[in-house]
Amino acid sequence: MRNCDDIRGRLTLYLDNELQGDERATVEAHLSECESCAAVFTRELNFLNTIRESGPLHVASPELRSRVEQILRIEPAHAPRSRFTWLVAVAAGLLVLLLPVLVWRLVRHNEPAPVTQACPFALMAVDTHLRHMRGQLPLETESANPREISDWFVNKVNFSVKLPNYQESSGQEKLYTLEGARLVFYEKQYAAYVAYRMKERPISLVITSDSTAKPSGGEEISSKGLKFHYNAIDGLKVITWSDRGLTYALVSDLEERGQQSCIVCHEGTKDQDFIEPLKPH
Amino acid sequence: MDGLFNNLGFGLEALEHLDALFGYAMALTRDLTEAEDLVQETYLRATSASHHPDGDSNLKGWLFVIMRNAWLNQVRHRNNGPRFVEFETGEQAVDETQDNPHVIYLRKLEREQVREAIESLPDAYREIVVLRDIEGFTYQEIATVLDCPAGTVMSRLGRARGKLRKLLSGWQTRAHIRAV
Repeated sequence: MRNCDDIRGRLTLYLDNELQGDERATVEAHLSECESCAAVFTRELNFLNTIRESGPLHVASPELRSRVEQILRIEPAHAPRSRFTWLVAVAAGLLVLLLPVLVWRLVRHNEPAPVTQACPFALMAVDTHLRHMRGQLPLETESANPREISDWFVNKVNFSVKLPNYQESSGQEKLYTLEGARLVFYEKQYAAYVAYRMKERPISLVITSDSTAKPSGGEEISSKGLKFHYNAIDGLKVITWSDRGLTYALVSDLEERGQQSCIVCHEGTKDQDFIEPLKPH
Repeated sequence: MDGLFNNLGFGLEALEHLDALFGYAMALTRDLTEAEDLVQETYLRATSASHHPDGDSNLKGWLFVIMRNAWLNQVRHRNNGPRFVEFETGEQAVDETQDNPHVIYLRKLEREQVREAIESLPDAYREIVVLRDIEGFTYQEIATVLDCPAGTVMSRLGRARGKLRKLLSGWQTRAHIRAV
């Protein structure tokens, strides 16, 4: 067993995910055996989580976002900087106005419906999913019990989170596991993040109030009176929708549109016709 | 046509890092107007670049490198150096009509304390805390952004956190909040 000084000297590297393989295993083995070092580790972890959860420190204003969107759309690659930059900008602006029409006309026959950009909430859900996968957003509570997770959110978010437990009520084989939850910051308030796993593949559910986020963009699919928005972002499948005052984003890397991920709430056979429209036709 | 789609794809991916870049710009400039200008300058430089990196993590790091170089360039051409102004948290009031306003108050207070502590750090320390603990970059990615050895990142980060720890002597309130 490595001595405590050696291990404590590596704790920061361990907490920052900078140790791999044997080095990581050595620290973990020591922490499991040494109460003193484990206490130091917990203290450091709490301290770092406190710092990390204070973010984001700033959020870009809608005006800045609009200006950046304009830059990303109108600024052509290799644009020369000159006193005539404004002329280039005007020309590029006209080009941008016309190009989508041209592109649309060219590709229209291959696309059944126009697909627009994902809404910010969907993008945040994907980012949250990826950061959690990278270990940058550890769960704040771990439990496979939906009621415990639902209770954990009480007084932490300004809406009610009630996770269903279809597996328990249906008595079916366990197709997925609930792992835990944490808070995430969105639009200057807390949203609920819930982590599931199905066949070793992670599924993320992010919930906020529908006054905070409105689903939009992507491919629209209607089912059972609800309107779902589907996007493929960075190889992940994102489904966003609003229902009874809440807005949800479900992220997975499952097949097709990731509609399998819906079983975390809709596992019963009666829900199959609910999920069916989400499958690609 | 492929180039067009690639540019549109790049734009959408680059836009995902807007908030992160704005946060970093605020850490560098401490001024809302300058930070917004710096963000726009960064995106202008990025769209004008002859080569865009592949992969999301590369793109984010690449944009941060562009931003830092743009900022250093501005500072070099300025006689009076960067200005320092009071930091605004920009946080909107949350719904405090919920069941347990005491918990909400403590949590908000804690976040504000941490943010104020980060903002009060010396420039180099604040920058490295933002890169590592807010944006989640690895040591090597930070070394690339700051153009320094990874060993320097480690030592500077250690000192920055040590300073933060002193500033946040009351941060244990967190344990109290969670216990409520």
